[in-house]
Amino acid sequence: MTRRRNLLIGATFVATLVVLGTAQRLLEQTAAAQAIGAPLAPTFEVDPTFPKPLPNNWYQGQSIGLWVDSDDHVWIVHRPDVLDDTEGALDRKTAECCASAPPILEFAPDGTLLRHWGGSDGPGWEWPDSNHGLNVDSKNNIWIGGNGSADGHILKFTLDGQFVMQVGRKGVTPDSLSGDHFSRVAETEFHERTNEVFVADGYGNKRVAVIDADTGEMKRFWGAYGNPPDDAAAAAQGEYDPATVYQHFRGPVHCAAVSYDELVYVCDRMSNRIQIFNLDGTFVREIYTQRDSRADGSVWDITFSRDPQQQYLYVADGRNQKLRIFDRASMTQLTTFGKGGHYPGEWYSLHNIATDSKGNLYTVETYQGRRLQRFLYKGLQPVTSMQQGVAWPTGQ
Amino acid sequence: MKRLQYLGRGGLALLCTVFAIGAGLAVSEHTALAQGGEPLYRNVPLWPRPFADDSWVIGSVTGVTVDSQNHVWVAHRGNFSLENNERGMIPTPGGTGQPSSSVCCMAAPYILEYDVAGTLLSSWGGSSSTYVWPQAVGGIAVDRTGNVWITAAGMETPPATGRGRGGAGGRETAESPPAAAHVLKFTRDGRHLMTIGTAGKSDGPDSRSTLDRPSAVAVDDDAREVFVADMGNRRVVVFDSNTGAYKRHWFAYGERSAGAAPGPYSPTDKPARSFRDLTCIELTNDGQVFVCDKSSNRIQVFDTSGKFLREAMVAPNTLGGIVAGGFGVLNAAGAVWDIAFSSDSEQQYVLVADGANKKVHVLSRSDLAEIGSFGAGGRYPGLFLGLGSVATDSQGNVYTGENHHGKRVQKFVPVR
Repeated sequence: MTRRRNLLIGATFVATLVVLGTAQRLLEQTAAAQAIGAPLAPTFEVDPTFPKPLPNNWYQGQSIGLWVDSDDHVWIVHRPDVLDDTEGALDRKTAECCASAPPILEFAPDGTLLRHWGGSDGPGWEWPDSNHGLNVDSKNNIWIGGNGSADGHILKFTLDGQFVMQVGRKGVTPDSLSGDHFSRVAETEFHERTNEVFVADGYGNKRVAVIDADTGEMKRFWGAYGNPPDDAAAAAQGEYDPATVYQHFRGPVHCAAVSYDELVYVCDRMSNRIQIFNLDGTFVREIYTQRDSRADGSVWDITFSRDPQQQYLYVADGRNQKLRIFDRASMTQLTTFGKGGHYPGEWYSLHNIATDSKGNLYTVETYQGRRLQRFLYKGLQPVTSMQQGVAWPTGQ
Repeated sequence: MKRLQYLGRGGLALLCTVFAIGAGLAVSEHTALAQGGEPLYRNVPLWPRPFADDSWVIGSVTGVTVDSQNHVWVAHRGNFSLENNERGMIPTPGGTGQPSSSVCCMAAPYILEYDVAGTLLSSWGGSSSTYVWPQAVGGIAVDRTGNVWITAAGMETPPATGRGRGGAGGRETAESPPAAAHVLKFTRDGRHLMTIGTAGKSDGPDSRSTLDRPSAVAVDDDAREVFVADMGNRRVVVFDSNTGAYKRHWFAYGERSAGAAPGPYSPTDKPARSFRDLTCIELTNDGQVFVCDKSSNRIQVFDTSGKFLREAMVAPNTLGGIVAGGFGVLNAAGAVWDIAFSSDSEQQYVLVADGANKKVHVLSRSDLAEIGSFGAGGRYPGLFLGLGSVATDSQGNVYTGENHHGKRVQKFVPVR
């Protein structure tokens, strides 16, 4: 007993030293950063206890859509159909684990799985061949896209999975001038004041499309620089060259995030650029990041910090496995964090990001990543490095 | 429900738990449960610490062991096992010839040494002019002197052909080394000491000088012998650990002559007379040799002379999935991928890494009956994909390694 108590005291002493040491180091870093006029940027720490394990031996597939609703519940869409024979062995009855989870999953703030549904066609709707993108609007509807080769539509459901509306249809070919269908939609985003949905359209089409959220009616669409889309010209742009400024979206047009001050931030993923527009499609400016990225590009998803000014803009970079933090007013990149891998705080293919009301950041990973992760918001700190590594909990 | 007695004694388990909490290690909700709901082990999700080099990732893990200083040694398949999306700094054959990323990623060195807190202490590995580094490394062992042993396990193929540990083939084509047929011995800092067998040369199951896709090794320090799970030859073969000289070999059930390769496993068939895929070999303190016959779902136990003692089935209904793709074959068939013994001096318990069912079985060593298990499938802390390695340290902690797309080493601490 005495030995145990001594051990406990010893361990506590060590832990205290560690904490003190870390605090001291932080103070020194802060002082050093302030001395050189370093800007402040949000900081995070990965929370490896979120989410809790899925019930029913369920296994999560490529995770390609993410939103946090007004109750801070986290909604994701993933692809159950991609589990291979080693992962989905319970479905195949070759081992005790695992079975594919339903595609739409809702997690409580403590990480517990709540509602789960989706995956089938029904009267009036066609489930996408390849799930892609999820948005919860302020009226508690869920919007999803799909980037299967035949997917030309978006779907609107209640939070319980009751069908509300399908816009577009399956079985179409790309046509960025179409007024009644999309092509391989990456993501949707509802804008409350105008009751519009901004559609990142997508993998087939090369445009931003805007529809009425109640009727689904096409209101307007545009291509890069706010010009009319031109699929033939976009296809003729050839292999990516970092030194070239491309006049058309290379795509996939992978996100269309709307800020409180009504700017639309569009991910032109394989061009490694963000294009910014007014709600009406007027081009405002563009920003490149990690322009030497090839293959699937560096601009996968965009969201904002939760302060009223949305002072910071976050970019998910699933090619370089970084979370990029920009000062939104200047669109200067302040810092990045994260690295590749399968451990907590690392990403395999960082695909989507979202924040909750406390400023916590959530991420989902596609391909062989297949996770939802939470990063706890730890306040603003002076930036000490442009590349911070894993957002590892302090003192660990 | 029987409780693990060595945990019930309190001392070691409590010490570890107090240490973990005291040192501020976060403990996840992904707690392992024994049958009946009693926790056996708790995952330590923030182990190991991230690589200091942001551009490093770990490949498919094929071997984990713990040395006499409680350092954790890991063998992984490096760039050979990385998908295009995680090897962005390496130009893709047939692609643009340009790397797709200047910052992420490339594989860490093949051999990694961690301390108990998860800090990387050393890393090394790769071919030299005097030996061939395996494309598909297998198990890893560290002897009492601190020398490190690895094997060339060979690329995975469907299980009936008797291969299984090394892992999928990655996307390499041009740089594939010769066929896997050797065991390599290094100092703990990676200086090459000895090769047993010859890369690219296999003379069959009675050969005294060649091997065929050896998957794992174990060292008997007192007898100065190294035991090799010679997977392709379906045998255990023993060499002098200093000279590499052949000493003896045997087949399943201790037979002295090779039997025919068995067909695919079926739970309703009688046990096969030959090994299907020998993926582990471990020695107990009291002179027993345990081997894993992975897709046969069985353990066989021998004495060190090769006399057959007994066999036990684990999760005998398991078939498991096999995937063949552009990356090669992922062979997740079978429930018995690797074995470790509990850290008490009697080694009362046997831990079995089961990559098909994605859990660690805990068996009583006296009768090889299952008394509990922990883990489930998934990519989150405490869950498993391609669970192919298990090891224990002297404090009762358990380390696991994940092959295929799992690509992690995880730590578990005992709980009361």
